[in-house]
Formats: sequence, structure tokens, C-alpha cells
Amino acid sequence: MSTMERTKVGRREVLKGAGLAVVAAVTVSEAVAAQAPKRDAPRWAMVMDLRRCVGCSACTVACKAENGVALGRFRTVVQRKMMGTFPDVTKVNLPLMCNHCEGNEKDKIPICVKICPQYPGKRRSFKGPDGKKIRYRDGATYKRPDGLILVDNTQCIGCGKCIDECPYGVRSFHPFVKAGMKPELQGVEKCDMCVHRLDNGVEPACVNTCQGKARIFGDLNDPNSKVSQLVKEHNLADNVLLSEEGTYPQVYYIDPNNVLKAAYTKRTKGKLDHYVEMVD
Amino acid sequence: MQSLNRRSFMKLATASGAVLATGAIGSKAALAGSVKLAAGGRDFSPATGKERKRIASACWQCVTRDSIVGYVEDGRLVKIEGHPDSVRTKGVVCARAHGGINQVYFPDRILYPLKRVGKRGEHKWKRIGWDEALDEIAAHIKPLLDAGTPEKFMFHYGRMKSSSSKVTKDFLSAFGTKTIAGHTSICEGGKWTTQELTWGGHYDNWDFENTDYILVFGSNVTNTHTNHIPSSQRLIDAHVDRKVPMYVFDVRLTNTAAFADAWLPINVGTDGLVALAMCNVIMNEGLYKKDFFKFMKVTADRNASVDEKIAAVKARVAKFTPEVASKESGVPADKIRDLARGFAKAKSGVVVSYRGVAAGLNGCDGERSMMLLAGITDNINSPGGRCQGVGAKWKGPKSKHVKTKALKITKGFKGTIAYPSHGVCQEVLPVIKDGSQGRPDVYMWYCYNPVYCNGDSNGNRATMMDESIMPYLVTSNIVYDESSALADLIIPDATYLERWDWEDMVSPTQIGEHYLRQPFVEPLGESRDLGDVWPDLAKRLGIELAYSSKMDYVQQSCEMTKPVKAAGGFAYMKEHGVLYDKNAKPDFYGYKKKVSPDKYKADGVILDEATGVYWKWKKSKAKSAEEAIKTGYMKTKNAVKGYVGQEIDGEVYKGFKPDKLNKSGFLEIYSDLLEVKKFNPFPTYEKIPEHAAMAADDLILTTFKVAAHTHSRTSHCKWLSEIYHDNPGWMNTKTATERGLKDGDKIKVKSGTGEVTTTVRVTEGIIPGIIAISFHVGREFSGRYGSGKADPFPGVVADDPDFKNKAWDRHGVNPNYVIPNSSDPITGQQRWMDTVVKVVKA
Repeated sequence: MSTMERTKVGRREVLKGAGLAVVAAVTVSEAVAAQAPKRDAPRWAMVMDLRRCVGCSACTVACKAENGVALGRFRTVVQRKMMGTFPDVTKVNLPLMCNHCEGNEKDKIPICVKICPQYPGKRRSFKGPDGKKIRYRDGATYKRPDGLILVDNTQCIGCGKCIDECPYGVRSFHPFVKAGMKPELQGVEKCDMCVHRLDNGVEPACVNTCQGKARIFGDLNDPNSKVSQLVKEHNLADNVLLSEEGTYPQVYYIDPNNVLKAAYTKRTKGKLDHYVEMVD
Repeated sequence: MQSLNRRSFMKLATASGAVLATGAIGSKAALAGSVKLAAGGRDFSPATGKERKRIASACWQCVTRDSIVGYVEDGRLVKIEGHPDSVRTKGVVCARAHGGINQVYFPDRILYPLKRVGKRGEHKWKRIGWDEALDEIAAHIKPLLDAGTPEKFMFHYGRMKSSSSKVTKDFLSAFGTKTIAGHTSICEGGKWTTQELTWGGHYDNWDFENTDYILVFGSNVTNTHTNHIPSSQRLIDAHVDRKVPMYVFDVRLTNTAAFADAWLPINVGTDGLVALAMCNVIMNEGLYKKDFFKFMKVTADRNASVDEKIAAVKARVAKFTPEVASKESGVPADKIRDLARGFAKAKSGVVVSYRGVAAGLNGCDGERSMMLLAGITDNINSPGGRCQGVGAKWKGPKSKHVKTKALKITKGFKGTIAYPSHGVCQEVLPVIKDGSQGRPDVYMWYCYNPVYCNGDSNGNRATMMDESIMPYLVTSNIVYDESSALADLIIPDATYLERWDWEDMVSPTQIGEHYLRQPFVEPLGESRDLGDVWPDLAKRLGIELAYSSKMDYVQQSCEMTKPVKAAGGFAYMKEHGVLYDKNAKPDFYGYKKKVSPDKYKADGVILDEATGVYWKWKKSKAKSAEEAIKTGYMKTKNAVKGYVGQEIDGEVYKGFKPDKLNKSGFLEIYSDLLEVKKFNPFPTYEKIPEHAAMAADDLILTTFKVAAHTHSRTSHCKWLSEIYHDNPGWMNTKTATERGLKDGDKIKVKSGTGEVTTTVRVTEGIIPGIIAISFHVGREFSGRYGSGKADPFPGVVADDPDFKNKAWDRHGVNPNYVIPNSSDPITGQQRWMDTVVKVVKA
């Protein structure tokens, strides 16, 4: 059984478990949302349209400015890969970022959250615009009810487990922010989907600057959102990075040429050199 | 969500109150349900959640000059975005624009006037005050004024546009020198001159919003075009949303080629030949569009009928068969046929071409061949075609000008270039060294790096080092670079994010947009915009200027420019930043408009029989009507200024109005101007002689640019150099294998001019037989981020704590040590693409 098939079967089981009819092309998010009792939160997600990315790196630099990201660290990058033999050569520009994973099938808690010694921490309340409160638990790394995987360095002990365990290798030690609970060590940084903009009604910086509109951001819980429509139209449920890991990433790729797997350079365990921007 | 117009979106989000301002992250409410998000236009501090102060302005990282909004937090500019209301940029900017913040705050920035105290180039400096600096400049140029030799003050600029250009040239005209050189010939001047020879004014816009077919020759339009963001995003929409076919001819698999339906690898200098072969197919198969031939000049006879013209083009392109082109270019003949047919049969199509075509020995012919291809398919100034650029028009105050004088040193060695209408930048230093055309006593440069940017960097340095040749050197600069290191006096320039300007860059929609540049922060340290320096210097020279500062100039311009004034003038522009007429329609097919008899039969208007041009002779240098008639339109100086219309078949049309060169009102494919200079009047292809004479182990060196940098002005920007700081030479696997080279091997690249040591990047994404090395890097001085070296004097910007995180120690090579200063003999364009070199393992 191929990886892809295995994943699909797994997903069907999720659906069955939730007592829903099996429908082809139903996304994990839809499934998860269907099971979730709290429907009044959005489920933020990103669609990367590989047809539209021209590898210009504006997203990378916009992110650096927006978030004051230090040298040597990135919150988003574009991996580049040439494939083929002259003159039949193609090149893929593959934008990467934190996948804001839904988590595994059982408890919907992604590995970076689960591994955090500070999780679960304090109880917090997430309030939607309709005024409803959703309770959740924080941590140095935690998942908000709208699906964002966030970092709270005031609670961090600087252990670096989340950095080691992230299969995508999108986390690193923050060179300027200390681990709040152990100030001799450094805190952690990664993409937070520009939560400071989002919570004020503005799209993330990388989306704002994308000349190709290759990054499409929105709410999967809103069936009318562009991301919902794209996920459905292009059947993107499995078009995610490392789908076999069962992490249910919420960054989907429109990949008509089926190059995603071939183009993606995975992290080498213990290293982060796959997650560095280099223009060409 | 994305399909909605971003501007209406923003309004929606703000007006409906859907945006919920909330407290700090963690405890705050978030948005849920179907709340619409704004694309931009507002920004918040990630640390405090507080809204950042927004100011509208304009970029300057490259000539595209996007409209931007920037955000200031605690008095510091922290973020730049595209201006959401700009019709040009549609709320989007590129990587360079984002990195612009580093221009203000990089730790090696020059922030006060510096006077050389050691030997020239010894890097010994003394900080002086502005009064002393201006007194010193005045002490060097006032005697020239007094002696009646103002032309011995030479001003040489790199990037200088819009009001910055107007103010500086106004001062120089009031002073009396016209020894002014630009940098266009080391950029795309050859393309511009070719446009002046064919359709008149320079700059083309590609109407991607309406086009049905896209052919790209030698242009990485999605990453590095001179009107990058406005053009590129429309190209992406056309190709993806409307599935417009797109094919890219390039020596490298660029990001643009990778984005297209296909990359067509093409040999260096053969783009024009492939275009001519496409013309051959289109003519032979009857796929041309007859209508446009009326407005093209394709034979010596201006009265030739359309049928005669068709026959003439057929005959001229007969020898350029797809097979002939294939042999030279490496592009399969079948492919040439297919694309020619596809292009000609499409309702509309755009021929994109840039430096890959223009910046070589046969660049003018290459570009003229592109014009022919666009012409015979009626894709000139048409919806979806190749259109003459339209920018906003501004008026501004003018000081009292004197009769200017010029040293003849800005257009190359005497008699070597036929039509150097944009100067010959790369020959300025060699001509000065030669001395026979005169030498300036004072050489001042601005936003330019002569040592690094031109060919033969060694030669440039040697000339500038020699005080007997160049006695006094002064520059206005923000960074200590290869050239400012040789200055006698450096005055600290304000960055573009600290100054005023009005702006006018070409619009992708053929509707001009007025826009403003305004400071986000006060100039750091003692830095000052050159536009603010001139009024102070003028006082010392006894010259009166019509403005007291750059801001004053811009303010006056806003009140003098009709549409801007009508909208609310300076106050409106400060608040909104951009202005365009939402009801305006593009002027497609403007050349077909007839000129009314009262215009061409007016007093003083004469018909030039040779060209069919009606012109007002009094606007030219001719002294009488008789002299004008006798000398003729083409040979009378400044005759273009009197152009009224073009006679075709007994009617007078607006035609393709000439600009700098005395061409007719036809789209001149057959060029009398070239014929009189002994060049082939019809576009042709000739193999570059050096390439025909290459030894078996020779390679051709081509150059390129990348999306992260401007040619020479961004390497000190840390976010940009972080993602591009090294430039190994690209080499095809086969070519590398033949030389026993593996990826990453150290190599020497040598020519008659010099050599550089670099590494090789072995790749399938380039044609065999060449090596491609980018510009941007290889900086000997460009601050610690650009060159790894701090300035030889203490800066006053607080040291950047981020410097300890700098993770790169390679800074690339400058290919200009290998590339000679050498020009297209028609236009004076520097040859960036066709140098013959030897490459050996180092």
C-alpha cells in the first residue's frame, strides 16, 4: 500500500469514527471541524498555488521585516529545485512555512505542542466575534481554537524539544528572546501566521506581498472562503507536505504537475539547513 | 476572497467595522466565521499589538519605483508594503522593496561629510561639517564659473529620475554645465535607442491584461524587470487565470522560463535571428496582419504600397529560414514554426524583450527584429500588444538657466557610436583617461558606482586614482563603496525613505499615475538629500533657484500640475500618495489618428518630401525655411521638436511621433538614419565576430540579475544579502565535464581585461558553451553585510546587534574585472552578454 493510499484510508476511518458518510474529496479539516464541538472558531489555513509562485522571495523578506526576524533565521522560505536533463529541464519554487498542523488523528494535538513540557498550561479563553468563548489550554507552544500553533516564550524553558521534533524543521531558537522560565536559555521562534495582523483583520505579511497570489489564506470553516473552495476544487486533502506523517498540515499545495514530493527537500534530523532561503 | 479587488476589500473591512481591534496576543479575541480580512493597508506591532503609523510614499530600490505604504513604530520605519490604492502595484511589492528598510539603518551608513586626509584611495578620512563641505565644493566649482568654463564641472548619475532629476538638472543648467552623464547605456540604453529609431519615444509596456500570447526573449520579467511588479503580476494572472500561452527564450532556466509553458534554450546573441525566422514563417504562410503595414516603413520608398511592403518584408526575411535560425540559435526549427504560427494566429500577442537581446554587439538589430515581429502581426500599441509606455506628466518650477556648455566626453570616443541617444556611460572614464576630448576639473557622481558598475573595473579604478587625470572627485552617497573610497570629498546622501519626490514611472495599464515620495523619518545623522544641498550650494555661487528645498520643489509641482492640483494638490498627495484617473481609457492605436489640416497647413509647417513628415521648422536649429527644406527633416538638428504628422497615402496621421532622433512618423523598420551611417537599414542578423573566432576551449560569459538585488545599490541591505551573497558561475553539466569541473570547484575566469576567481555551479539549467555570472555581489566595499568589512571610519548608527547572527562569509565576485567596456556601435549599449572568456580550474 502506498503512502498516499494509507493516508487516505486513515482519513476515511476518521470520518467513519465521526459517524459521517464517506465522501470522496472531503478534507481532513472538514472532517475535524465536523467532529469538533466548537464550530464558532475559524480554521485558518493557507493554500500555496505552485502554478503561481515565481520564486521572487518577496514573502521571505516581507516576513523578516514584519516580524523583525533575525539573520540566520527564517519563518518562511522558498525551496528551489531543478529537475530533468538539458534541454528538458523544469524548476519548482516551493514556498515553505509552519504548517500549523491540525495534529494526529486521535487527539488533534500536533507533536510540537505535545512535546512541550509546558503544555498543557493555563486555561485560556478564545472569543470569536459572535462573543462565544472557547476554552483551551496554553503552553510554551500551544494550539489555539482557530488552529494557529503559537509560541509563548514567557512560558518557555528553552529545552528545544519542539525544534527537534517538528518534522518540517521550521522552528529555531530565537537569538534575541530568552526562554521566560529559564532565562539563561533562548526562546523559540517560528511562523505565527502574523497573528498580530490576523487578530486585527489583516492578512499575513507574506500573503499581502505575493505578486503571484500564490499564497491564499483564509478560513476552512467558512465554505465560501477562497481556501475552502480551492481545497475542494483541486482536491487538496493529500496535497500537503509529508502527508504520511499524519500531522494533517494546514498548508495545502495546488500542484497540477505533481511535483511536490520530488521538489521538497526534507529536513535532515537535527539540522535546519533545508530551511534557508537562497535566491537564484 | 483573493479574487476581490484589494482596494474595495480594505474599504469593506474598515467601513463595516468587521475589523476587531483587540488586546495583546493570547488573551485577545480572534476573528471567526466569515469575517473578511483586509489584504493590507494597516499594520500592527507583533510585540505590543499597537497599530503602526502609516505613511504613503514610493520605492527607489529599482527604477520601477513602486508606490508603497510604510509603517513607523516608535519613530523607526519597520515595514514597507505595496500601496493598496496604486493602479500600478495593486498593493504588492518585491523583496528588494521590503529590504529597503535596511537602506536607512545599515550600520555602515555614511552619516556626515567626510574629507580625505590620506592619499587618494588610502581610506583615511576626517569628519567635517556641512559648511566646510559646501565651501570646499564651491571653492572647486566657482572658479570654473568665473572662468567661463562651467562645463569642467561634470555630474555623473546612476539612478536619478523624476523630481530628483529635474532639481539636479535645473541646478546644473543654472550653473551652466551640460557635462552630464547618466548610466542608461550600462542598463538598457540600447533598447531605448532602438525604440527611438523605430517608434519614437523610449520604454515599452507589455499589455498582459489583454494579451492572448506571450513570447519572451532574454527577460526575467517575473523577477527582475525594470517595471517589475506592475508588469509581472499581470503576466502571472494572464498565464495562470486566462491560460495565455507563454514561451521564454533564454540562455538560462530563469524563474520566468520555469513559470512559462516552455523554456526554449537559445544561444547567445541569436534572439533577433529567431524573431526574423518567425517573421519568415509568418510572411511565407500569409499569417501577417495586412492593416499595420500601412504604418510601417519597410523599404526605402516611403510611398510603397501595402502589397509592395509585404513583398519587401518577404524578400528581406527570406534567407532567415527556421533551419538557418535553428543552426545558429539551437532552437529547433519546428518549434520556431509552431510558435510563429501560434503567435500570428492569436487575437493579440506580446513580444517581450530586454537585456538578453539588447545588451550585446548586435543588440540593436535584435531589438529591431522584435519590433518587426510585433509589427507584421499588428501587435504594436494595440490591446494585448507591445505598447509605448505611458507615465504621469508633472510640471515644476524652473530656475533661470544660462546657456550651457558641455565637454564631449559622455557619448563615447568620437565617431565610434552612431546614435548614442542615452550616452555611453562605460566609456566616460576611458574617454577622460584618453584626454583628447577634454577632461573635467571636478567629477561628481550620485547614486552611482563607476568603478564597480562599468566594465573593466581595474581600468576604472586606475583612472580615478590618478589625480593628474581626475583632479577632484566628490560624491553624494549613503554607502562607502568601491568608488566613494576614491573620492576627495563624500557628502552623506539621505536615503529615498527620508526624502521628497514626485514620481511618474510607466503604468502597466497605459493610464499614467501621479504619485509621491515622502519621508518616513528625518534623515539620519547629518545626511541630506542632494535636492536640499543644491539650494545651499547655489547661494555660495550667487545663483538663485526657484525653490528653497526639494520639498518646496515638490510642493510647487503639486500645485502646478493640473490633475494633482484639482485633486487637492500637495495636501492630497501627502495623505493619499497616489492619483490616477479612474475613467481614463488607454490610447490604443493612437498612431491611426488623423491630423487636422489646420495643424499641418499652419504657418511655418513644411512637408519634407523625403520622409513625408510635416514639421515646424522653426522649432529646429534651421535658420530659415529654405535652409530647412534644403537640409531636410532628417538632417536638421532638433527637427523632431517640430514634428506635426506623417503623410501616408495622401492623408496626414499622428503616426509614431519621433522623440530624440529625426525618424519619420512611420514605425521605421527600414531606417534611413541607419542607412546614412552605413548600417543595414533593415533588421538583420550577423554572428558576433568574436564568437565566430572562438577557440575550442573558449566560453561566452553572460551576466544576469536576481530578484533579491538591484545591480549595485543593495548589497549592504542585510535581508537581501542574506538570501543572495555569492554568485558562482553557472555552467552546463556537459561543459563542466569537458573541463573536468565538478559542482563547487574553484575556477578562474579570464579575458583580455582581467580575471576573477570564483566557484562553478554545475547545472542542467543553462545552455552548454557559456558561463553565466550575476552582478550585485563581489563587493570590495559595501559595509559589513555587503563586503564583510566595516567602514574605515566610525559610524554613528548604533551598531546592529543582529550582526552577530550574520551567517555568511562569502561575498561573491564582480564579473566586471573580466568584461571590457565595449559597445553596440549603433546605440552605445554596453555588451553585458557576449564576452569571450577562458575558464580553468583554480
